[in-house]
Amino acid sequence: MLMLPFLRLHSCAVITSPTRPVKMPERFESTLEKRVVECYRSEEMRDKLRKWREDNCRNSEQIVDVGEELISEHASKLGDDIWIIYEQVMIAALDCSRDDLALTCLQELRKQFPDSHRVKRLTGMRLEALERYDEANKHYDAILQDDPTNTAARKRKISILKAQGKSTEAIRELNEYLEQFVGDQEAWHELSELYINEHDYGKAAFCLEELMMINPHNHLYCEQYAEVKYTQGGLENLELSRKYFAQALRLNNRNMRALFGLYMSASHIAASPKVSAKVKKDNMKYAAWAATQINRAYKLAGRGTKENKCSMKTVEEMLESMQITMS
Amino acid sequence: MGEVELSCRAYVKMYLHACLFPRCSINGLLLSSSPTGGAVCVTDCVPLLHSHLPLAPITQLALTQVDVWCSQTQQRIVGYYQANACISDNSPTPCALKIADKIAEQFDNAVLLMLDGSKMSPDYRVPPIVMYERKDSRWILKDKHTIMLRQWEETRAIASQMMESGDHTLLVDFDSHLDDITKDWTNQKLNTKIEELASPANGNI
Repeated sequence: MLMLPFLRLHSCAVITSPTRPVKMPERFESTLEKRVVECYRSEEMRDKLRKWREDNCRNSEQIVDVGEELISEHASKLGDDIWIIYEQVMIAALDCSRDDLALTCLQELRKQFPDSHRVKRLTGMRLEALERYDEANKHYDAILQDDPTNTAARKRKISILKAQGKSTEAIRELNEYLEQFVGDQEAWHELSELYINEHDYGKAAFCLEELMMINPHNHLYCEQYAEVKYTQGGLENLELSRKYFAQALRLNNRNMRALFGLYMSASHIAASPKVSAKVKKDNMKYAAWAATQINRAYKLAGRGTKENKCSMKTVEEMLESMQITMS
Repeated sequence: MGEVELSCRAYVKMYLHACLFPRCSINGLLLSSSPTGGAVCVTDCVPLLHSHLPLAPITQLALTQVDVWCSQTQQRIVGYYQANACISDNSPTPCALKIADKIAEQFDNAVLLMLDGSKMSPDYRVPPIVMYERKDSRWILKDKHTIMLRQWEETRAIASQMMESGDHTLLVDFDSHLDDITKDWTNQKLNTKIEELASPANGNI
């Protein structure tokens, strides 16, 4: 009995005699289709998870949705990737209060890597999510006893302070951490956020200066620095803020916050009685340029929809009213 | 001080704003389209930020834009709302007080509303809000009995339903608008959806 080639795709092939016309029974057709679709689908889901890992997105609800399906239905296709996916899904599950899913992932990881510090840290994170902070701290202290350079455990301890509302201690610990690990961008950024929430704008600015040094092409750091300077106020800070809004625009000419920021800081400088006629003139020019760009951007955005025409009109009026205060 | 009434639309949008960014502090403005005098009727709200609330430029920009929009649409800014990222602490932050002060300069009976994150689970029965009013340059807790939410059960049901069906992802706050200026921070589409759900034809009354 011959097995015709195309039937080999199935593990349960229909074996027919070569004289009779071969027609695949319907249920086998749909099984094949289903498998092909499943294969593409699991690839798609895997790619999504990888992209979110690389971009460090915190879209935890989506990760749980995709990850849970991937793990429960396509685990066999994942190979060694499954461990990093368990980690990713576990953290997302904690973020969504899905302790059931988090525990499942954690248990698989514990079985596979029984002595790992990385998994111990995940155990700690689960305890944090359950607000069992003292136990979590014990886990992190144990890791640090074994390996004092473990940055992940140190950062988790700082996160616990933040979760408990102990901002001052968190700030102190983070400063100490950064004395040792000067290049840690994530930590500098976290510190700048903590300072902003404490209204300590001078120190927040310092952190953002470090970030801009490490990463001079990041338009977001420039723009945030400019916002902090603007918030600090005073002519000197306003001029700095205008310069950094302009720098952010040079790095990314679509940054609307920077564009508005440039407009507002230039307008305020031009309106100040303390500036020379030349400075006033220059800043009015910058503000006028920014206003044109803003109007143009809104006109482009406003094409077609009624709602957007509303924001276009609003912005136009707003820019006009701010111009009056300048002259 | 007087009574404050919170409309379904205002409450639902505040709630959805908090649900859309559960890990961030969020804030927004409370608006009224009713004439002044008597109770303050909060008929709408504009969600503003979900990052860097204490920083000045975007807040100033948003306040100015909303002001202009209000004068175009016969509304006025009558209050401010905020939800803190840390749910164990729902007291107004210094930046909340500052912005509320500014609003109070233009409107005597301004209200400051804090959303209580710890009371926002699906089985909560009472509105998860705490309101403050201005007395002698200080913000003091408002008597709960002067805060009215008409048809609270219906409002609560609409808010839950919209969150479950993922409608909170349709909400646009000012921050999101600046990321993509084609998005509408007045949330007309969402307003329509809320109206549809609240309409008597749906058997909701």
